[in-house]
Amino acid sequence: MAFRKFIAMAFRNLLRNGRRTALTALAVGLGLVVVMAMSGMIEGMVTTMLADGIRISSGHLQIRSASYDPNKGSLLARDLLSDGEALAAELESLPEVVSAAPVLWAGGLLSTPRESIGVQIVGIDPEDRFHDPIRQGIAAGQYLSGDDRRAILVGRGLADQMGIAVGQRVSLASSGAGGEGQEGIFTVAGLVDTGFPSIDQNRVLMTLEQAQGFTGVGNRVSTLIVMLQDQETAGEMAAALARPELEIETWRELNSLVLESVENGLIFYYILYGIVFVAVAVLIANTLLMSVFGRMREIGILGSLGMNRSQILTLFLIEGVLLAIFGVILGFILGLGVVAYMTYVGISIPAETAALVEGFPMGTTLYSGFAPGQFVVLSLILLVVVALVSLYPAWFAARMEPVAAIHEF
Amino acid sequence: MAIIEVQNVTRVYRIGEVETRALNGVSVAIEPGEFTALVGPSGSGKTTLMQLMGCLDRPTSGTVLVNHQDVSQFNPRQRAHIRKEMIGFIFQFFALVPVLSAYENIELPLLLNNVREGDRRQRVEFLLEEVGLADRAHHRPDQLSGGEQQRVAIARALAPNPIVVLADEPTANLDTANGTMAMNIMKKLNEETGTAFVFATHDPQVMAYAGRVIRMQDGRIIDGQNALPAAALQGETAQP
Repeated sequence: MAFRKFIAMAFRNLLRNGRRTALTALAVGLGLVVVMAMSGMIEGMVTTMLADGIRISSGHLQIRSASYDPNKGSLLARDLLSDGEALAAELESLPEVVSAAPVLWAGGLLSTPRESIGVQIVGIDPEDRFHDPIRQGIAAGQYLSGDDRRAILVGRGLADQMGIAVGQRVSLASSGAGGEGQEGIFTVAGLVDTGFPSIDQNRVLMTLEQAQGFTGVGNRVSTLIVMLQDQETAGEMAAALARPELEIETWRELNSLVLESVENGLIFYYILYGIVFVAVAVLIANTLLMSVFGRMREIGILGSLGMNRSQILTLFLIEGVLLAIFGVILGFILGLGVVAYMTYVGISIPAETAALVEGFPMGTTLYSGFAPGQFVVLSLILLVVVALVSLYPAWFAARMEPVAAIHEF
Repeated sequence: MAIIEVQNVTRVYRIGEVETRALNGVSVAIEPGEFTALVGPSGSGKTTLMQLMGCLDRPTSGTVLVNHQDVSQFNPRQRAHIRKEMIGFIFQFFALVPVLSAYENIELPLLLNNVREGDRRQRVEFLLEEVGLADRAHHRPDQLSGGEQQRVAIARALAPNPIVVLADEPTANLDTANGTMAMNIMKKLNEETGTAFVFATHDPQVMAYAGRVIRMQDGRIIDGQNALPAAALQGETAQP
């Protein structure tokens, strides 16, 4: 029998119960919308978090002394780069390098008359392009300038928490290079809102020169944060710059927490995809089975005409596949709309929630990402799942004896 | 030579613990070109016998030969093949495929038999003319009257040139005029094509068309191995 006749019959059978077909296709479509939205959100989060992590925190490369442990934040001379600024200048002369920012990190205690909170003191070169997000994030007051004396920037979250305002004088304490305590009074020049609460809640920024003087490390720095023209060349650059006394990490290693979190989270998302697919599959199976029960006599008639079991199975299978195709097309279109909204408008999350994320910066708006390849794969998986599930009602129809199906004959 | 031979056939149905003997040692032969009525009260075994002759079912014991092939032990695919090529069915309930037009319903068995498109068209158009529905070819079943639907079913049954058409109460759901028209068409096609017709009926007027009447009761044939004159039948069935 001509296959196109099967398709025509299956198509007409679907139209015969137009409302049921439309609702089922919509359910399939909504299932696809859910998995596309989840997939887009993962894609967006990974892309955004990596990009933000690189832009705000890690850079493409970090060059440190081989003995420096970023978790301890040592200020000992042997753990710091003694020629950081010279090395930065050398790196910036390379065509692959956009910027090389020397940074000094130190642990500290910020105090007001009311309370004290542990903070990270960050000494930066205010003119360096890497720190543009801080310049752009000034929410009150002004940015640092090279000749600022005793001026600091305080993260807005931290300022809110401690009730600090621009112009206020605060006390900052740190242990110096030799382990001795250092304490000074600083004026808050500005409040910084980078959009990443986890950063803005614990950072105090000052000029590199001032930080070096305050901590007594001379002209040493903790690290050089390097931005490259092409992040994919980070590995090659790290290899080219390698020296025994240096530890060079690429953005992949520096953001391993993000990548590992995503990788571990994927299993969870795959389980969710599976649940959505199974729910859709059960719905389709139920719809087609109802259709079979409602057409027992018709199945008997087809059998009496000599249509064999595999032909009846094919007829019902085509109905399932056509239904799946309608649903997937509908879902794909709706899904693209939802993903587009989530990509360009995004979903806002409370700052308190974003601040809970540790180890990498998370903004207060989550954006989706377009992953066309992944959307197509998910659509095809759904199509295959529905086609496989359609086998059961189709098999149920095909195995019926015509005489049992016809009843009255 | 018989086109269908039913030899000492028994058919027992089991529903749970209950066993029903629908046919009990039935033997009958259908010759080419016969126009035969199966007559008997409900539960007499008419439908079961037609299902066995039409390869819709298998006997519990005994043998059914269709075109000299023992179909008793055929598997579902083999029985479907026999039905497709040799047997036409007409049901009481105008059993058309609802999503297909009159033309497509008649064409369906030809498609199943892989008849070429040109030959298909010619055959379908011929049959539509024969049953007087050429102008209703592209109407769906729900756009046709009961009588028209049954005429489409008759045309469909004859489409693949079967050796026999089995009709179960073909006029039961038709008014007298449509029933008469359906029977006239079947009789005419029987005479023109030589295709044998076997139909189960309670209707004396329908029985009057039969060249042979087979009477059944309690799963057995009680009379009918020989043809009976129509007039005699009419007189007999008129009695209470």
